[in-house]
Amino acid sequence: MKNRRAAGRGSRMRRRTSTFLGRVALGVLAALAGVGPVGCAGDETPDQVTLRVANWGSPAVESSFMALERQFLREFEQLHPGVRVQVEQIPGFGQYAPKLLMMHVSGSVPDVISLDASSGAAFMDNGVLRDLKPYIERDASFRLDDYFGNLVKIFRRGDKLYSIPLDFTPMMMYYNRKLFDAAGLPYPRPGWTWEDFRRTAGALTIRDPNPVRPPRQYGFNFINVMPFWVLWLWTNGADVLSPDGRKAGGHFDGPGSVEAVQFLTDLMLKDHVAPTLEESKAAGVDLFRSGQAAMDLKGHWMMIDYRADGIDFGVVDLPTNTGSPTTVVYLTGLSITSRARHPDLAWEYVKFMTGREVQIRRVASGLAISGNRHAAAHYAGNPVEDAFIAAVEYARPPWGATVERYPFIEGLGEEMLEDLLYSKGSLGVAAQLRRTAALIDAALSEP
Amino acid sequence: MIRPYRHNWRGYLFIAPATVYLALFAFFPMILAGWMSLHRWHLLKDEHPFVGLANFTAMTQDPFFRNAVKNTLAYAVFTVPLGVITSLAVAVLVSRPLRGVGFFRTLYYIPAVSSQVAISMVWIWILLPGEQGLINYCLGRLNAWLGADLPTSTNFLGRPGWAMAALVAMSLWIGLGPRMIIFLAGIQSIPETLYEAAALDGCGTWRRFWYVTLPLLGPTTLFVTVTTTIASFQLFTPVYMITHGGPRRTTDVVLYHIYKEAWQKFEIGMASAQSYVLFAMVLAAAALQLWVMRRGLTEQAE
Amino acid sequence: MIRRLTTIIHYLALAAIAVTTVTPFVWMVFTSLHPPSAQIPTMANLFRPAGWHFSNYSYVLTFGELPVWRFAVNSVVTTCGVVVFQLTLCSLAAYGFARLHFRGRDVLFFIFLLTMMVPAQVLVVPLFAFVQRLGWLDTYAGLIIPYPYLSTAFGTFLLRQFFLTVPQSLDDAARLDGCGELRILWHVILPSARPALVTVAAFAFIWTWGDFYWPLLATSSTSMRTLEVGLSVFSDAYSGTRWPLQMAAAVIVLTPVLIVFLAMQRFFVRGATMSGIKG
Repeated sequence: MKNRRAAGRGSRMRRRTSTFLGRVALGVLAALAGVGPVGCAGDETPDQVTLRVANWGSPAVESSFMALERQFLREFEQLHPGVRVQVEQIPGFGQYAPKLLMMHVSGSVPDVISLDASSGAAFMDNGVLRDLKPYIERDASFRLDDYFGNLVKIFRRGDKLYSIPLDFTPMMMYYNRKLFDAAGLPYPRPGWTWEDFRRTAGALTIRDPNPVRPPRQYGFNFINVMPFWVLWLWTNGADVLSPDGRKAGGHFDGPGSVEAVQFLTDLMLKDHVAPTLEESKAAGVDLFRSGQAAMDLKGHWMMIDYRADGIDFGVVDLPTNTGSPTTVVYLTGLSITSRARHPDLAWEYVKFMTGREVQIRRVASGLAISGNRHAAAHYAGNPVEDAFIAAVEYARPPWGATVERYPFIEGLGEEMLEDLLYSKGSLGVAAQLRRTAALIDAALSEP
Repeated sequence: MIRPYRHNWRGYLFIAPATVYLALFAFFPMILAGWMSLHRWHLLKDEHPFVGLANFTAMTQDPFFRNAVKNTLAYAVFTVPLGVITSLAVAVLVSRPLRGVGFFRTLYYIPAVSSQVAISMVWIWILLPGEQGLINYCLGRLNAWLGADLPTSTNFLGRPGWAMAALVAMSLWIGLGPRMIIFLAGIQSIPETLYEAAALDGCGTWRRFWYVTLPLLGPTTLFVTVTTTIASFQLFTPVYMITHGGPRRTTDVVLYHIYKEAWQKFEIGMASAQSYVLFAMVLAAAALQLWVMRRGLTEQAE
Repeated sequence: MIRRLTTIIHYLALAAIAVTTVTPFVWMVFTSLHPPSAQIPTMANLFRPAGWHFSNYSYVLTFGELPVWRFAVNSVVTTCGVVVFQLTLCSLAAYGFARLHFRGRDVLFFIFLLTMMVPAQVLVVPLFAFVQRLGWLDTYAGLIIPYPYLSTAFGTFLLRQFFLTVPQSLDDAARLDGCGELRILWHVILPSARPALVTVAAFAFIWTWGDFYWPLLATSSTSMRTLEVGLSVFSDAYSGTRWPLQMAAAVIVLTPVLIVFLAMQRFFVRGATMSGIKG
């Protein structure tokens, strides 16, 4: 009898204890479920809003450029009291896109992101970004016309627009005027062909009297970066992929490409007017910057270094066999993410950063050309700048803006070229291109 | 007092939380992985078309995945025997009752509990080419000391075979402690009387080891081998931190490959299929080793 | 005489291995005290930095963009959460399996053990998709609850082994006093099982604190990173520069585990011999 009553008491106690524990546990779990990154629901009050912005660049490195960006942020905050702009700096340029996409998947992507067109396809084609058309239509103070039409086109998908151009650079051929003068050669002119280029490079190469040592001066500086050397395919009328971007076979290993890659490897291995990979590594410095190479295929940003090094440079369209000027434009835009918490504020930020006043100051260093026509025009009037700006009219968008796997393809291409340049033709150019084209096609057509 | 065997339904209540937890977070994911592996499932896209076994067949033809499997097997083939032998040797070394041996045992265990990320960061230093890297520095000192001419500027992380060797070396350094402890337990469980008997028969130290210790350590060795193999298939952090699968994908192991597939290409359908393949590899390796060594042990017993 | 010699050789061998074990850590600590922008110290000047920069540690802890103190908080919350959560689950289940009789008990226990066979990494991909649907990515819930490493079955197994050794008479005495099952567990079994609980907790702590793969995926914004992942983000950010700062961060990450390990090594060694090890 006593046992049963005691047992009854015991079980009631147990039930109470377990209910109590259960409630505690549930409460803790519920509280934790809501706890997320700082800047989430709990951190904001109606008067204090945090706008989150993503940019590439290591948060640990101090540069004048980042100091300038921070200055702009502060000005924006002053214009919008109660707003705090928090920048998420993502180090490692190649990791930027995957990391941001991960954040999108996790639901913690910032409101505004810088969008690099070369890895933009994954963002634009998968609903990661907001269509900006409604904002443009609603906002009378914003004129899409202020931005270079060819750049805006790259960020369009149908009638949706996913990014406002921030800055851009076409790729051009730099040449060292002092070295040309010393060799008594005329400066290159638009419309020059590959043959002209090869002859010029040969004339500008100064051999070392000791044949074992590398040349004292090269005609052309080369580095194995596919975003740069793909231009040699384009200026020969060839390409990596078919026009619809779905197939590499027949294009990457087509006759035009074979010719182009052969031309490049000959520059280094046969004619030796450009440094081999070993020589570049041994030199340890950029040979154009050190005045040891007379020409280089680069973008606008290198100007900053060249000016600092005291190089007297000129800029010209790329040598082409197609008869018409050809180049690529690499560009960045500002986008609002589809999961942004403060889209209207984000729009204000985009407008502010791409506006003429901020843009003029932002590109003052020569980092790139402003995507805003009027800001770009501010720097026009000198031949180098004009050459770059003129190129935007005919420059082609990078493949990465339409093909999601393109960054991976670039990796394959660079490995292939490295093999060609090191093994000195154990597998010929045509065979290597075929092999790589097959790998690219396999990657593009995965189940 | 004899208690009757009584069906106590409260038992279900007690195991319920853990059972529900395992059902949700262990069994369900397994099934989900199977389901996902039969689809083309991209994290960013909304449509997941059913593709049947296409992921699995594509995997067998994918040179990059085959390369990852090859690398994982190569890594295991080197890590397991070397790891077992070195930790057995060290276990013997610390099994003698010397003063302060406990200190050494604890010391050797430290890398195993340390942050793998921190360890990877330090090993980058160890492997640096040039005089700052520890290995190259030691080689340089050896040169000075012995008058030898060993190479002192090997870029371990830039040369295909060497990068893998570096990973193997790391795994030996890290895994020494736990394996040593297990062998130690095995050694200490061998009764003294057996050694005494062997000594009476005139066996020296080495023969005692070979004919008494080693055979009786059979089960322990089996256990260490199997667990080391399973662990070696799960190599990830050093690859992520130091080699990034390179140079030229020579250290791209299966788990790292799955990571890239799932969270850089965002193809989690294919990644699930690859995870199953990894699981199969682990099972197969463990089963094979159990079978082979059981055979060896039973033969030995006879 | 020969005995002396062998002893000396013995100690030499032990010392040699000790040196290889300890050198990287020594280097780490000394490098962390060099001036922040110093080059990688060569062995010659490792022990003679230009000034002892203990300030590196406070810098690293409070650096705004990569708040290591925040990573530490996340690690503490996650690890304690996992330990408490798993201990609760495992104690309850172990009690049920050890002390209570119900239909299908042994079959269910066997199924429990089966889950130990699945390597955690195989689960991670679908677990990620599942956790994403729950909305738990980048939250503490996602870090604590779906923990694919902590073999709940392993903890249950260990605890059950131990509970079985606790004499039934204690239970019976408590039952006579009118205790229900839960009270028996709380007041009788658990206190006696303290060593086992500490072992499971110590394992859980060290596993969870040092885990890399799952927190790497379960967190994406900087402020939610745990120490282990945060350290890799830190290393990425500096990427080959500012080694002293990187090493300071590494030392900060290493220290708590070392302390716990050294305090708990008794339990650790015993637990290791009793079961499987993450190698």
